[in-house]
This record gives sequence, structure tokens and C-alpha cells, in this order.
Amino acid sequence: MMQAVGLRTHIWNNNLRSALLLAGFPVLLIGIVYTLELGMIGAGMLPSTGSMAGDGVYALQLLAGAAPLAIVVSLVWFAVAYFANTAIISLATGAHTVTRAEAPQLYNLLENLCISRGLKTPRLQIIEDGAMNAFASGLNDSQYTVTVTRGLLDALTPDELEAVLAHELTHVMNRDVRTMVIASVFAGIISLVAQIIYRAVMWGGLGGGRRDGDGKRGGGGWIFVLVALAAAAIGYLLAIVIRMALSRSREFVADAGAVELTKNPDAMISALQKISGSTPLPAPEAVQGMFIENVETGAFSLFATHPPIAQRIAALEKFAGGRVAPVVASSPATEAAPEASGPWGPARPKGPWG
Amino acid sequence: MMATIILLVVVVVLGLIAVGAYNRLVALKQGANQAFADIDVQLRQRHDLIPNLVETVKGYATHERGTLEAVVAARNSAVSAAGVPDKVAAENALTGALGKLFALSEAYPDLKANQNFLSLQGELSDIENKLAASRRFFNNAVSEFNAAIAQFPAVLFAAMFGFKEREFFDLGEGRAAMEAAPPQVKF
Repeated sequence: MMQAVGLRTHIWNNNLRSALLLAGFPVLLIGIVYTLELGMIGAGMLPSTGSMAGDGVYALQLLAGAAPLAIVVSLVWFAVAYFANTAIISLATGAHTVTRAEAPQLYNLLENLCISRGLKTPRLQIIEDGAMNAFASGLNDSQYTVTVTRGLLDALTPDELEAVLAHELTHVMNRDVRTMVIASVFAGIISLVAQIIYRAVMWGGLGGGRRDGDGKRGGGGWIFVLVALAAAAIGYLLAIVIRMALSRSREFVADAGAVELTKNPDAMISALQKISGSTPLPAPEAVQGMFIENVETGAFSLFATHPPIAQRIAALEKFAGGRVAPVVASSPATEAAPEASGPWGPARPKGPWG
Repeated sequence: MMATIILLVVVVVLGLIAVGAYNRLVALKQGANQAFADIDVQLRQRHDLIPNLVETVKGYATHERGTLEAVVAARNSAVSAAGVPDKVAAENALTGALGKLFALSEAYPDLKANQNFLSLQGELSDIENKLAASRRFFNNAVSEFNAAIAQFPAVLFAAMFGFKEREFFDLGEGRAAMEAAPPQVKF
């Protein structure tokens, strides 16, 4: 991965990072199931070949044999997640769909962005909440939705609103919601296997309670069990860490994609500045990852779904040519957005025909 | 036998790296081209607004024919300019002419109160802002392309494939002079 020197190289780097992280999941899953098998051999639940090396090979063969079942289970899991996803989001956040007639300026902003990329305009929804936030949802063409809060609409200038819409639209274009659902399913499967190992060791037969004296355990025994337990702990943690790193990578790409769409990095920066420090928007965890900003209090940065705002702004400055203007105190509902000015006088952003 | 296999693998890997680097450069070059073309979109919008502006001003500032004709001439030469350096020069000249026009409109309070004039002024200002943003985006793309062809390993073969450094968008001496000396307003 070469050093990024501009907007597109920044996007490519992050896409490569995302692909590698996503590829890490199946590797991690295979690894942890393998150690579970070793643990079972070590505890005598599975027959041992008598030598550690032999057990290792035997476990690999079992792995290959279990593959069809594992694939079926995974597919079922994915299918359930797929159908559950949209239902959860619509029910939980209380968003209502708006048509072009109900919110013409907002709809036009979104539609213009879509036209510039040849996309079908996603559904537009508004949440009546004072918190400033936005998110993208939906797993296929008929489901794609961009949702913004009333607080956001009141607080941002049209340019900043366009930047936020472009950010969410980039998530839609890159199918990030689907990627994160895949990552969640993998993480769920891995944590399930990890918990199986843990419980089996603590309360079940894996804890070495089966001491049949026929010596069939070879030398593997408790070492394998220990390995399984360590792998369970590491795997459980890694699954979360990989998923969060993936989410942060997608956020960087979405910020950069917003600049590609709007050609206006300064608006993205000032929107981020205004949004940081907003009150949290109540929503289920599945949705929070797709917010434009999600501050989890007391979390290590490894477990955060979004990079810190300062880091996002720094990336925009470094790769997208953005400049940080002094922060204007945002008084959401009371002040009208200040008029932008150009070289010939006040610049009212209207269309060519008035 | 082993040596030839290793050599083959090394050659294949190097080949893949070269292909990857070449494709990267092509993509970045196209990005810069597209960014330049996007500036055209704003420029064309500006061309479309000028006839209306000239007509509006004509009604109020009948003595300022010289300035108005300069704007019309600059606009026409900008529309018909071919080739990048000519276009850039023509557009910079148009910006200068527009500057003089808006400066002189300060002397005509009736004109400044005219709704049509105000709305055109607003739209042209907005286009200037968008032009500035498009130029910065273009400069960003050029900077990225220039850095990519200078980086290792692309630097080894970039010249061979015709990837040359591109120039940034130059506003021209006229604009630089205009920004150095603000337009004079005399009553």
C-alpha cells in the first residue's frame, strides 16, 4: 500500500485496507474452529491419532469435512440478517419518508448528486429529533435510504448539508451497509464459536475432566485445550477489532467520496465541526455504525465505529485540499444560515433561472 | 531448474507490479482530465448568464458602452476559444471584464436596486465560488498525478509511457493584478 498523495490514492488505500480486513474474517473463523477441534481432541471428545502432529493433520481433515455444513449455516445466518436488517431500522428510529414536494431543497440537493453519478435517487427520510445526525441504510436498490435528522437540517448551511448527503450517498454507492452486515455476521459466528469453546472448557468436558486411562490422548492433551481457550479469547476480541477497523476505513472513504461528489472539502470539514458535540441520537447498535458521527463514550479508539473528528478533518486537509476555517458557533434554530459571498457581492445559491 | 522457476516468478511479480503502477497512473491522469473538464461546466454556465446581465445593465448605464462591449467581446472570445491555453487566457480576460462591470455598477443606485441585476449578481457570484472550488479540485488532482509519477517505482517508466507533469491552473497575470489593486470606484 503506497503512501496516499491525494484524494483518489487515499480512497484506494482505504479500499485495499477494507478488503484485507474483510478477508481476515474467514481466516479468523477457520483458525478458531481449528483450535476448537484441537481442543476437542485434547479433551478426548474426538479420537486422537497419538501424536501432536498427527492430531494437527486430523483436525485439518475434519475442517474440510465440516465445510459444507459450515457454509449452509453461514448462508442461513446471512439470509436472516439480510431480512431483519431493514425491518429493524425503520421500526426503531421513527423516521418518516419525505417526497420532493415536502422538502424540495433537500430532495434537490440529493437528486443533483445522484444525477451527477447516474444513480437512482434513494428514498429520503427525516427523523424529528434535535440531534444532528444522518445515516444511510438498505441492502439493495429498492431499499436504499438516506435519513437526516431535523436538528441537522436546522443547523447546517446548504453546502454543508450537501456534503453530509454526499457522504451518505457514498456509503450507498459503495454498498457499505452490506459490507458491515457481512462483517457483523462473521463476527457473530466467530463470537459464537468462541463462547462455545469457553463454556465447554469451563463447564463441559473440554476442561480435561475426561481422564480415561487408555492413553489414547497422545501428548496433545491439555496443551490443545489451552490453545483453544486462548484462541477463543483472541478470536472474540479480534472479531470486534477487525469489524471496527473496517467501519472506520469505510468512513474515511465516505468522507473522501463526499469531496469527490461535491468538489467542496471545506463544507465537509465545517459540517463535521458542527456535528461533533451534538447530542447522541438514540438508535439500535446496528444503525449506529452507519451514522455520520457516532461518539461512544469511554471506548478505546480500537472499538470505535468512526475515526475521531479531528482525524477525519486532518485527512480531508491532507488529501482533499480542505482548509479549516475558524469554527463559527452554531446556534441552530434561531439564526438563519449566513449568506455566502462571492467576489461580485452576495452569492445566493440558486439555479440559473432564478 | 529451481533457479529458472524462481526467476520466472520474480519476472511475473515484477510484471504485475508494473501493470498495476501503469494502471494507477492512467486512472490518476484521467481524474485530472475530468477535473479540468468539470471546470468547463461552470464556465459554460457563466457564459449563459452574461447576455442577460449586459441587457439589464444597458438599460441603466447607457454611457458605459465601452465596458459593456468589452464584456460581450470577452465572452464571445471565451466561447469560441480552442485549445487549453487560449481558453484559460480568454476566461481570465472575461473575469477581468466582469470585475470592471460590477465595479462600475456601484455608481448606479437604480441599477443596484434592480431585482434582475441583483439575482444575476448573486448567481454569478455563486458560479465564481463554484469555479474556485473546481479549480482547487483540479489542482488537487494534478498534484496527486504529479506526485504519483515522481514516486518509486512509477518514476522508472513514467516518462517512457508519456506521463508528463501537468501544470496547475494558473489564474493569469490579469487576475493577479486585479487582486492586487482593488477596482476603483469614482462618484
